Amino acid sequence: MKKKVISTLLTAALTVITVTACGSTAATAPAPADQGAPAEETAEEAPEAAAGDAAADQASSGDAVTLKWALWDKDATVYYQPLIDGYTAAHPNVTIEMVDLGSTDYQTVLGTQLSGSDSDFDVVTIKDVPGLVTLANKGVLEPLDERIAGDGIDLSVYSGITDQIKVNDTLYELPFRRDIWVLFYNKDVFDKAGVDYPTNDMTWDEYDKLARKITDTTPGSEVYGAHYHTWRSTIQLDGILDGKHTIVDGTYDFTKPYYEMVLAQQKDGVCMDYATLKTQGLHYSAAFYQGNVGMLNMGSWFIPTLIEKIKDGEGAAAANWGIVKYPHAEGVEPGSTLATITALAIPTSAPNKDAAWDFVKFVSGSEGAAIMADTGNTPAMSNDAINAKIAEMDGFPADDSSKEALTATHAYLEMPANEKSSEIETVLNEQHDNIMNEISTVDEGIAAMNEGVGAILGQ
Amino acid sequence: MQSKKTNRLIAHIIIYILLFFLAVIMLVPFVWMITASLKLNKDIFVIPYQWLGFTPRWENYVDIWTRIPLAKYAVNTAKLTVIVTLLQILTSSFAAYAFAKLRFKGRNLLFLAYIATIAVPWQVYMVPQFIFMRKLGLADTHLAIIILQAFSAFGVFLMRQFYEEIPDSLCEAARIDGMSEYGIYAHIMLPLSKPALSTLCIFTFVNTWNDFLGPLIYLTTDSKKTLQIGIKMFISQYSAEYGLIMAASVISLIPVLIMFMLLQQYFVAGITTGAVKG
Amino acid sequence: MRSNPEAAGTGFLNRQQKRTLVAYSFIAPNFIGFAVFTLGPIILAFIMAFNEWDGSNPMKFVGIRNFIDLFTNDRFLASLKNTVVYSLFTVPLTLVAALALAILLNQKIKGRTFFRTVTFFPYVASLVAVAAVWNMLFTPGKGGLMNQLLMNVFHAEPLKWAASPKTVMLTIILFSIWKTMGYYMVIYLAGLQGISEDLYEAAALDGANTIQKFWYITLPQLKPTTFFVSVMLTINCFKIYDIVYMLAGGSNGVVNKSAMVLVYYIYEEAFRNWKLGSASAASLVLFVIVLIITLIQFKFEKNYAND
Repeated sequence: MKKKVISTLLTAALTVITVTACGSTAATAPAPADQGAPAEETAEEAPEAAAGDAAADQASSGDAVTLKWALWDKDATVYYQPLIDGYTAAHPNVTIEMVDLGSTDYQTVLGTQLSGSDSDFDVVTIKDVPGLVTLANKGVLEPLDERIAGDGIDLSVYSGITDQIKVNDTLYELPFRRDIWVLFYNKDVFDKAGVDYPTNDMTWDEYDKLARKITDTTPGSEVYGAHYHTWRSTIQLDGILDGKHTIVDGTYDFTKPYYEMVLAQQKDGVCMDYATLKTQGLHYSAAFYQGNVGMLNMGSWFIPTLIEKIKDGEGAAAANWGIVKYPHAEGVEPGSTLATITALAIPTSAPNKDAAWDFVKFVSGSEGAAIMADTGNTPAMSNDAINAKIAEMDGFPADDSSKEALTATHAYLEMPANEKSSEIETVLNEQHDNIMNEISTVDEGIAAMNEGVGAILGQ
Repeated sequence: MQSKKTNRLIAHIIIYILLFFLAVIMLVPFVWMITASLKLNKDIFVIPYQWLGFTPRWENYVDIWTRIPLAKYAVNTAKLTVIVTLLQILTSSFAAYAFAKLRFKGRNLLFLAYIATIAVPWQVYMVPQFIFMRKLGLADTHLAIIILQAFSAFGVFLMRQFYEEIPDSLCEAARIDGMSEYGIYAHIMLPLSKPALSTLCIFTFVNTWNDFLGPLIYLTTDSKKTLQIGIKMFISQYSAEYGLIMAASVISLIPVLIMFMLLQQYFVAGITTGAVKG
Repeated sequence: MRSNPEAAGTGFLNRQQKRTLVAYSFIAPNFIGFAVFTLGPIILAFIMAFNEWDGSNPMKFVGIRNFIDLFTNDRFLASLKNTVVYSLFTVPLTLVAALALAILLNQKIKGRTFFRTVTFFPYVASLVAVAAVWNMLFTPGKGGLMNQLLMNVFHAEPLKWAASPKTVMLTIILFSIWKTMGYYMVIYLAGLQGISEDLYEAAALDGANTIQKFWYITLPQLKPTTFFVSVMLTINCFKIYDIVYMLAGGSNGVVNKSAMVLVYYIYEEAFRNWKLGSASAASLVLFVIVLIITLIQFKFEKNYAND
């Protein structure tokens, strides 16, 4: 008898929610299409938000809600379950179901799942900024500004990141994880060469000299002073750290010195050859575990992986590692670095938007951040307490400069939101490949970037 | 007589030398897969590659079963593959009979339309197809994968071409004897097309077994996923465990190779000729 | 259509109708499933080619603008050119290799099962594995086996293979022939079984040698098979995608203009930029090209049938 009552109520609640959800889809669909009338949008969304609040009240009063959360690497990621446990401890009526869409084709699968209007995901993880922009342009993501203002969320804790991910001046996601780029180094390599370790205050020039000092080109026992993974970020983006340029500017002459530095290093055997690395598919981690790589510029996501692999023996040759802040351009204060974020968004078709928003707030907020830090991952909201927590992690280098390196004064997104992000990326990737493969000279490559991106922006 | 014998001997030697080289060229990746499946991830992409003399890491073959529910995935894949292959063979050989041996209005046009659709890349109609399937409530079901794979134009095309080789006179004779078209299909065409059926069976089996993108898009519940999705799970955002990938790939290859070896027996001259003579 | 000898007879309509009905009953099980779940979406895709659509917002009719954009886009033009060049070489070479292998492995030789399986192996093996091996043999440095061979045996300069725009297509062509010839060999093997032994015996009595038997019996008898193989090869070559991604994309997945192929372009437009209309337009171009080639091949087959 009791069961029947509950199920009837549930059905009724679901119907209400579905109806409101459908209404909202219709109301918000045209929003992302350059309407440029925020006032109008607000008016449209107001009744929907009110109706939603009723549902939220229902949820908190104890009705069972199941949230479907789209993500990747369910079993390989250490923080999903703790985040869910942390949230459901306070909201016992909520069940969160993780749906793993796979890592390699995540954006393709997510985009397909969100096509049409029948998707039943409540929360979706957004992997990168081009992914965010395409989904926002598709109009399948719920604008969050209303809710942020309504709940009085302070965006300043994200140290400016949220300004870089606005699409048409609207925020569609809240970041919960932020990785900054640092310089990993293998202390054994430096000890062997009798060279001092890198520091938290190095110019690119000093970095280049250091890399050359520890390099050994003897065939059979090569030591590489530096290692650059084949991504364009590892070289091209060094240029945006002076704060004067962004990667969606349309002119790329500022990347020249960095390309020239790395190409010269490649020629002198300071780093491995791009063409070989690309075709051979050598993963940067595998390269670092060989024990003959001095310095590696990479994101802080590599920290937990590295610690784990040292424990299980694979990374033994790199067991004595440390990190320092990214090198900086002449005359710029140290601590500027690149960042990538992982964020949560709510689809316009979500059956339980308000419950979903509550969960998003939790994960991106300070409670979620504490849980993230406990698992050794860097949350989007960064402060000294959180950095201290990460540095306490078992296996993290004991030296002070490694701890200090976790603090970034400026974090520039690898790709800030731009309506044409993914198309710009295609051009930049291609020219990066041409330059590094020495198919084009640096100047030709940069000219092609200027021309290609200029054409895209001019459309 | 003597020279003919020597000639044959020389021909045989040449054939075996050719075959030997062929086997080497074809088997290098297999040997690589097996050696890589016994290595630590970091040792796999090192140049020069170590073919021998490393300590094999048998744990890889244990880990693949515990790290992900590989056994469950294998069962799912096997189920899908068997159903799809059976349906494909049944419907394709049936339809192909009409295209090859019956005359009706619009035959060539319809056939051409069939073939032409093979040329449309799936990536293009994947999204509308998915939306449609979801409307029917088929998202996240094995039925969706079965439907997608079982009614392909490819099978019809393949079978039709083999039926073309079978002389029309056989069918005519049967018709005169009063046999129905269904009877001719079942009692004459099917027994005669064992090599073709084997071919279609092999191809459908391999394609369904190795299909990745279809199950990836449609199957979101963990317990419904397939082997190929499972193998890709060893590639995560920040690392790729090629040792495990290769171990799982070797395992997943075994049923396919067994299937091939069993079915290729039907590629033996004489099956059809005997019947034709009779 | 061939002339029907029964057309003159009485009760023609009923009989003809009945025949047609029987024919349709054969086709129906496959065709209904195919039409509903594949043909429908394909037709929709063709409509999409004249629209702007991102999978979510309403479609917007744009006429032929997608096509105009395509033919002014140098990435698309490069992909078109590369696909054509690739197919031009791969189709005939694979066809010949597959036929030769099938004839070789149709002989009564010891270990035939083993050799057949081995030849089919690259087709079924994990693409990651075969691409890794291939990349190792064809590594752009001097250490690779192929470059060693070039330098020491042919005294030629080492090539950069997949890393150079000049040789990347060559590498991809060689790879695909090697990977897929076993697949088409299987089709030819099956086709060879359909040739009556009587024909060879009769030819032997007439004193035909092996080469004559091949030209005058094997090849003509295999015509339906060859039609199938050449059509499928053409289609599959025009749809090449994952091989390019594995060989030319490498560790960062960046495929250069020198290796862009049609379906890769389509994939990029559809799932990176979510321009489904533009992707559909590109696939319509692909479709038309393949259709024309297939029609030509179809004509050849019919000519033979009428001989």
